[in-house]
Formats: sequence, C-alpha cells, structure tokens
Amino acid sequence: MLGILKGMATTMKHALDGKKFTVKYPEETPEVSPRFRGVHKFSQERCIWCRQCENVCPNDTIQIVTDDQRNGEQYNLHIGQCIYCRLCEEVCPVDAILLTQNFEFVADTKDEFAYSKEELKNVPWYKDIDPLESREPDRGAWIGEGDGEVDYQ
Amino acid sequence: MSLEEPQAPDVGVTGEGDLDYDALEDLLGDNVVDREQHENAEGFVIRPDEVEETLSTLKEEAGFDHLSSVTAQEYQDRYESIYHLKKFDDPTQELSVVVPTARDDPVSESAAGVFDTAEWHEREAYDLVGIEYEGHPDLRRILLPETWQGHPLSQDYNQDKPQIVPLREHANPMEEKTKIPDDPDTMFVNIGPHHPATHGVLHVKTTLDGEQIADLDPDIGYLHRCEEQMCQQSTYRHQIMPYPDRWDYISAGILNEWAYARAAEDMADIEVPEYAQVIRTMSAELCRIAAHLLAVGTFALDIYGDFTAIFMYAIRDREVIQNILEDLTGQRLMFNYMRLGGVAWDLPEPREDFFEQTRDFLDELPDRLEEYHNLLTSNEIFQMRVIDTGVLPPEQAKSFGATGPVARGSGIDYDLRRDDPYGYYDELEWDVITEDGCDNFSRALVRLKEMEQSGRIIEQCLDLLEDWPEEDREIQANVPRTLKPEPDTEIYRAVEGAKGELGIYMRSDGTDKPARFKIRSPCFCNLQTLPVMSEGEYIPDMIASLGSLDIVLGEVDR
Amino acid sequence: MQLLPEQIMGILPFGGVGAEVVASLIAAAIIGTIMLTNTALAGPWAKRKITAAFTDRIAVNRIGPFGLLIIVADAVRLLSKELIVPEGVDRPAWDLAPLIIASTALLGFSVIPMGSIVGINMHLADPEAGLALVFAFASMASVGLVMAGYASNNKFSFLGGLRAVAQNLAYEIPLILTGVSVVIFAETLQMSEIVAAQQETLFTVAGIAVPSWYAIVNPFAFVLFVIANLAEVGRNPFDIPEAPTEIVAGYQTEYSSVYFVLIYLGEFIHIFLGGAIIATLFLGGPAGPALPGFIWFMIKIWAVFLFTQWARSAVPRVRIDQLIEIGWKGMLVLAFANLFLTAVIVGVVL
Repeated sequence: MLGILKGMATTMKHALDGKKFTVKYPEETPEVSPRFRGVHKFSQERCIWCRQCENVCPNDTIQIVTDDQRNGEQYNLHIGQCIYCRLCEEVCPVDAILLTQNFEFVADTKDEFAYSKEELKNVPWYKDIDPLESREPDRGAWIGEGDGEVDYQ
Repeated sequence: MSLEEPQAPDVGVTGEGDLDYDALEDLLGDNVVDREQHENAEGFVIRPDEVEETLSTLKEEAGFDHLSSVTAQEYQDRYESIYHLKKFDDPTQELSVVVPTARDDPVSESAAGVFDTAEWHEREAYDLVGIEYEGHPDLRRILLPETWQGHPLSQDYNQDKPQIVPLREHANPMEEKTKIPDDPDTMFVNIGPHHPATHGVLHVKTTLDGEQIADLDPDIGYLHRCEEQMCQQSTYRHQIMPYPDRWDYISAGILNEWAYARAAEDMADIEVPEYAQVIRTMSAELCRIAAHLLAVGTFALDIYGDFTAIFMYAIRDREVIQNILEDLTGQRLMFNYMRLGGVAWDLPEPREDFFEQTRDFLDELPDRLEEYHNLLTSNEIFQMRVIDTGVLPPEQAKSFGATGPVARGSGIDYDLRRDDPYGYYDELEWDVITEDGCDNFSRALVRLKEMEQSGRIIEQCLDLLEDWPEEDREIQANVPRTLKPEPDTEIYRAVEGAKGELGIYMRSDGTDKPARFKIRSPCFCNLQTLPVMSEGEYIPDMIASLGSLDIVLGEVDR
Repeated sequence: MQLLPEQIMGILPFGGVGAEVVASLIAAAIIGTIMLTNTALAGPWAKRKITAAFTDRIAVNRIGPFGLLIIVADAVRLLSKELIVPEGVDRPAWDLAPLIIASTALLGFSVIPMGSIVGINMHLADPEAGLALVFAFASMASVGLVMAGYASNNKFSFLGGLRAVAQNLAYEIPLILTGVSVVIFAETLQMSEIVAAQQETLFTVAGIAVPSWYAIVNPFAFVLFVIANLAEVGRNPFDIPEAPTEIVAGYQTEYSSVYFVLIYLGEFIHIFLGGAIIATLFLGGPAGPALPGFIWFMIKIWAVFLFTQWARSAVPRVRIDQLIEIGWKGMLVLAFANLFLTAVIVGVVL
C-alpha cells in the first residue's frame, strides 16, 4: 500500500510543481545544435562536379548530370529519400554541399521533394545558424554567397 | 556468481585461459576435416552430417555453451554455414564451426537439437540463403512471406524477377472463417501485427485456453528491410556506417555503430586513438541510458495502461539525452557519429557548455531513477504483476542465446563490455548488474540499475575528457580513403548493444564492399525465449514478458 | 423542499396529469443536460488536461481559450466518422449495447439529490428505495458491456466482455455491502434521508463543526467503497475490461463513430455516477459551507473524477485472476466485516 501511495505522490508532485516540458512549437522554436543535419544547401559556384558526393551517398539520393565535357548541368537531390548521414558534406573537397539546420520542409507529393540545384540553392539558413562555423571547414566561398550569380562553368 | 561446484577447466583451455585449438581438434577427432583462420577465432571445417555430434561435444566437453550466431553464405562452389561458438564464462574463447555443403544439394544437419537458438537462426539461413537443415523441427521461412520465390542472398537469385504470388496463395484470410480448433476449449487469437503492445509490427499467433496461453508462436519479418544486403552493397569506409543506426532505432544508434566499427577496424587493423575511444564510450553509454529509459517506459505502458506517467517521464528524460547527443553528433536518433578509426567530430565548442549540460543530466539522474523506483519497483501492485511471471531459467536463457539485460535478469553474469573489453571500458570503474529472479521484475530492475552504472561510466569519461591535453585530441586515425581488406578475411565481432550481444560477421572478397555481411541481432535471439516465458501464463503476463524483453522490431527483422 | 418536477409543475400554466408529465420531462432534460455537459467537459478536455498535468505536458491549448473548443472539434470529428459495422455482428444486440451503457448511467442520476442553486432543487425523484435503485442502474451498465463483448464477433471484445462480467460480479457485492453499512447508520434507503442524516455535527475542532459525514464516521467503509467503485467504473487499477495493451480495447474494440461516442460518454457518466454515489453516501451529498449545495455537489463528483485520473497516472493494472482474488478473498471479506461491525456498533453501542 505504501508503494502505491509513493507512486501516486510522485505523479501528484509533478502535477503540482507546474513545470512543463512541452515546447510550444512553432511559437517557440526548439534549440537546434549547429551540428544538426537538415535540408541541404548547394552552391553551384563552389561545385567542381567531382561526383564524390554522388558516389559516397549510401542510397543514391544525389543525381548529377554532366555534359560530355564534364560540365555540370543538373544537381538533383531527393530530400525525402535522403537519410541525412552528412557523408556528402564530409567528402566534398570544396564545401559545395552543406546540410543546414532547416528541418521544416513540407510537400504535398513525394516528388516535390526531388530538389533541383536552384531549389537546393534557395534553401534558407535556419535561425541564421551558419553550420560551417561549427564544422570548421574552409569557408571562403560561402561568404557573400547568393549576391552575384557566378558560374564557374 | 555461480552456485555450481568449482569445475575442472574445459577441454581445450590452457593454463592461462587461452584456447588450445589443437586440443580441441583432438577432442573432435576425425570430425574435423580442415582448419581455417578467421580473424576472431579458428574455424573447424566439419562434415554436414556431423553437426549435431560436433556441437554437442563442444558444448558438453569443451564448454562452448553459447551459440552466438549462425551465418550462412554461398560461394561459387559451395554453401557454408558457420556456427559462431563462445562461452558465457569467457566470450573471448571463440570457435567457428564451418559446415560446407554442396551447391547442388545444400543439406546440412540441424543444430537445433543442441542449441535452441539455432532454430530461428537456421530458419533465417534457409530463408535468405537457401541451405536446408536436416532434422530441424520446423524449417519454414522466417523473415520473408511463405509465398516468396527463391532465396534472396543466394547467388543465382534474380532480384529483378517480380514476386508473383498466385491467387490461391493470396486468398483472403478472412474467407476461411474462424476455424474451430481441435481442442474445443481453446481459442486462436492473432495478437498483432496491429496491437497496442507488440512494440512494433510483431505478430504473435496465440492459442488461448480461457485467459491462459496454451501455445504461442511469434511471427516476425514485417519490418524486414534487407539490411544485410544493403550493407553488402555499400563500401566499408563510409557507406555502411549510417545503417546500424537503423537496426535498433530506439536511441541505441551509437551502440550499433560500434558493432560495425569494431568488426571493420579489427578486420582492417585500424588502431583507434584513445581520445576517440573515450568519446565513443561516453556517447555509447548515453545511448544506453536513452534506450533503457524507453525500455522501462514502454514496459510501464504495458503494465500500467496507456495513461501512465512513467512513460512520459521516461520520454522526457530521454529527450534531455537526445539534446546532448544532438549537440555532439548532429542528429537525435540516426547519429552516424562513428567513423572507422574514430568519431566524426570532437566535442562541440564551447566544451565547457557541453560538459556542464551532460553533468547537469548526470546530477539529476539519481533523483530521476529514484522516481522510477517509486513508481515502478516499490509499487506493490507492480510487484504482484511482475514478480515470478515470465520466468526464464538461466539454462534455457543460455540455450536460446539470450544476452543483455534479459540474460543478466536471469542471473547470467555476461557483459561483453567487461568480458571482451573494447573501447575504454576496461580502464573505468563500473559493475555488471545481475539479478537472480529470472522474471519480468528482474529484467526491469537490471535496466534501472544499469542506467546508474552507465551514469558512472559517463562521469568518468567526462573527467578524462576534461583533462585531456589539447594537443592530444586526436579523434580519427589515419585510414585510407578506400578500404580493401585481404580477400577471404572473415571476422565475427560483437559488442554489448542496448539489448544484448550485437555481433557482425563480415567476409571480404578483396573489393571495397563486404561479400557477406551478417548481423547477429540480440533482439532476434531474445525474442525466441517468449514461448518459454509465456506458455501457461495469462495474456497480461505474456504482454509484460514481451515488454520486459525490450525488443525493437527493426533489429529483429533487420 | 420540493423536488425539481414539482417546482416546475408549480410554474406551469396548466395542471393535472399532463402537467406532471411535462414537468417531469423538463426536469429530466435539465438534469440530463447538466450531466452530459459535465461529461463533455470531462471527456475531451478535462481528462487531457489532467493527464497532461501529471506528465509535465500542456495538452490541448490551441482551439479556443484553454483549448476548450476542442470539445466542439472532437464532437464534430467523432460524429462525422463512418460507422463501421463489422461482418457477423449480432444485431440488434450490437446496436443496443452502447445505448444501454450510456443511458443506464444517466438514469442513475434521477434519484441523486444534487443540492439546490438559486432556489432550484436539483433532485428529480426521491423514492424510498432510492439507494437500491441507483445501485441497480449503476450495475446495469455491465449488461451493456457483456452485450457489446459477445455481439461484436471479435475475440478481443469477447475477452473484454468476459472480464467485465467477472469483474462486476466480484466488485458489485462488496460495493453494495459497504453501501448497506451506511444504510444501517442512516436507517433508510431514501437518498434525501441519507444526506439529511449526515448534516448533524459530529464534533467541533477549534470552533469548526465537523459534520457527521460517513466518510469521517466510518473511514474504513469509505476507503473500501472508493476502491470498489474504481472497479465498478473500470478504471485503474481495475481497467481490465478495456486493457488496451492487452486486449486492444476490450468490449469496445469494434465500435466506431457514434456508437463509440455513446460508449465513451457512458463510461464518463458512469464515473460521475460513481462519484455521485460516493458524495451522497459518504460526503454529505450537496452539503458544504458558503457555496450553494449544487456547486458543492459538483466539486465532490469532480474530485472523485480527478481521483480516478490520478490513479490512472500511477497505479498499475492488476491481472484478471488477481482482480478476482482481491475481489472475492479480500474486498468481500472486508465488506462483510465492515457490515458486521457496523451492525454491532449501531445495534449494541448506540
């Protein structure tokens, strides 16, 4: 009997202390670690079309189309199929693909998640967290990204 | 602690406690046709019609009482079943029994008569690879549907061929109205695959006698995702590592990653820097606490009903761990944190914040655990419900290959972190928890106490990490970009996952992808004990036993 | 004080049998509406809020102030769902079961004295055998459970139905026996008399007069009754006829849409009826200082409701055989002991 009462006292204590663990999303957005792996951002200015990300991707999420001179034409990434392992970012020698903290993405159909390079480029930063800061890579080309449409090809 | 009389050392063990393979070969006599070198142990090649005799000799006389796993694979010229044997007393003493069979007639004798656990393992081997086991009590498919054509891991399997199931085999199961069972006092009930308490998509075919379980047959495979095959198609260096997170997906990701990391590192002779080992140990134990919290929470859900506060408290505490792990690894469940030769990242900057956050959690942990004890273990009705129900005697637990908290709840003192040390565990102060009750209560208690021990381990790791000299913080060894182990290297390595012994068998063929990748899932073996625990008991006890086994169907079905 | 139908009859412009019928119907509608409002508040909203409080959450807070409009949303959601009638159900038993479950519990309130507010006496009828009647209504719900259980053509429902029978048999008797011990004190079965008997001052502590509520006079009987009542209304630790983690949802597994609402409603009214019986028998009915009696009565039945939710948050479910054992070997013996001692004390000492 004592044990039952102890248990009931425990839950009552929780009810009375008024502490809530719920995060009132979306009014209050949760703290997201700078290391968090969300939707990708792609920089065509940086990309050298080396195809390492395509090769390392464990489940063929990245599709790269180049012309016969190895000039990049398309960079497609299905963010609904991606398993967010960050290997593409890890192998990329020039930080052209990057996982932002953005986890808020919706679509009506699955194929809307097949992002082209323009869509990938327009993925916003989440709460202005620049993930590169916490991931310590070379970041020169990301500064001022989006200002001028520089295409190295 | 064993109550048995002190015994003479097993045959084949030298004075120093090492295995003497020559003595073992002498013990088996002519049964050994050939000897192979695997990375973890020697392999004895035996004839396919002498499996039972060989294994029972090894079990009775040489003390190999733990059939850890059964791996089946197909070569160009033969099929092969490998029985990975260990000892519960000392899992570093390993022996592989290799049973080759002809390609045109892959029939091998079953080991189910010696080890109960072989029953499911051999069913899996039959299902996926296509070896037939003579004398097996019930050789059916286990992961794939009964109607499946072909064996997906065999070499001549055509993956592009659609699985055509004729209509008669696809007939509406409802068509045949409830059969009147042979015994009119019993009733057949399908518990699952859609049932609130099966912890996923498990289907338990149950025959009830009133409220009591007369017969029970777990039907698995609803969550089979070909994880082994996916790993076989991925490169060692990078691509396999994200997948272990998805076996036991209940927060135990890093523990699973370690199983692969350990096997691959031993295979390729990669030395992991000590600093990385400490980080690994710490993050793995965080995962263990999170996984055990969920195990305790869902166990409470099964016994208290769906409005219990315990589940929510467990989820809340687990959330705190997930925040820590998110800061460390970048993800909350699918961590992909380990790399061959180390970990992906050092601790997040500023390090002080991370230490403080983790220490805050550890400081709160005793109070939290006290709460769980108040709500669970000291509650008289809970005790009434779980003490002496779901009894799993140690002998049967061993025979079924039960490991982890399930084995330790049956008084088997077996923990790979201590018995087969890896990582930084042997440098740290902690205890292996065992309970002798063999019942649902003991298993829950073991988990609660293990959380305490994990807390101790994390605390010591934090102390070490805080004092680690800055110039020495090497998180990854130098590993070549492409890993191509020597052809025909074979290894079986296991770590202590959240649910028990999580083992990986790999065989290389000289390419950068494994030729055979086999996962020894602890949940798969533990689930086999469910009929032992539940037959003759009430439905609620069966549900409680299932909860106390803490299975994750993602790992059972892989 | 006049009963509610008599009060209404007084203001009706016509008299005779017609007025009696009309007044009774109006009065019944008022009481029914009040109880249904309570249930509507409890089911979709208060239950969520209370459970959330025990588990450090917030619960419904989006729709309307404090999330109160969730009641409307839930009503629309549940009523607009398709009513799925499984193959092979035994109609009309399958259709009648939810009606029985919901209506019998509501009928129980006809004899409960709920106190008065602004001069209106919230009491429909006061028959001499009031207590017997209310117990009869309360236990009729189990007929509905059994009907639902066997008519659903589902094995889980069937098990739930069987469990409901076993449970109700085991706990009805201690419940009624404990109720009888109150009757021995009050020397009447009439509900208003039982309430009246509890109004005397038992003793005075520091100037505060403690009334002779039977919970204070005989706390042992009170505890027994509250525990047996948990079994009667099927809440933790005795929620085994539903036991979602064991037999899916027990007798209600196959019900959807409106029928589900009726069963759900019935369960909550049943909890409130249990609370009303406890309040009447042990807590002085509508008695209380300062506030109107009706408000006090509501506070008391909500307190009992809160208690059932509290028990749900922390008390495990017992197993069916343990439940039967506790019922027949524990509760029944204690209930008889309580009855015997009460009888001896009342008969010999007083």
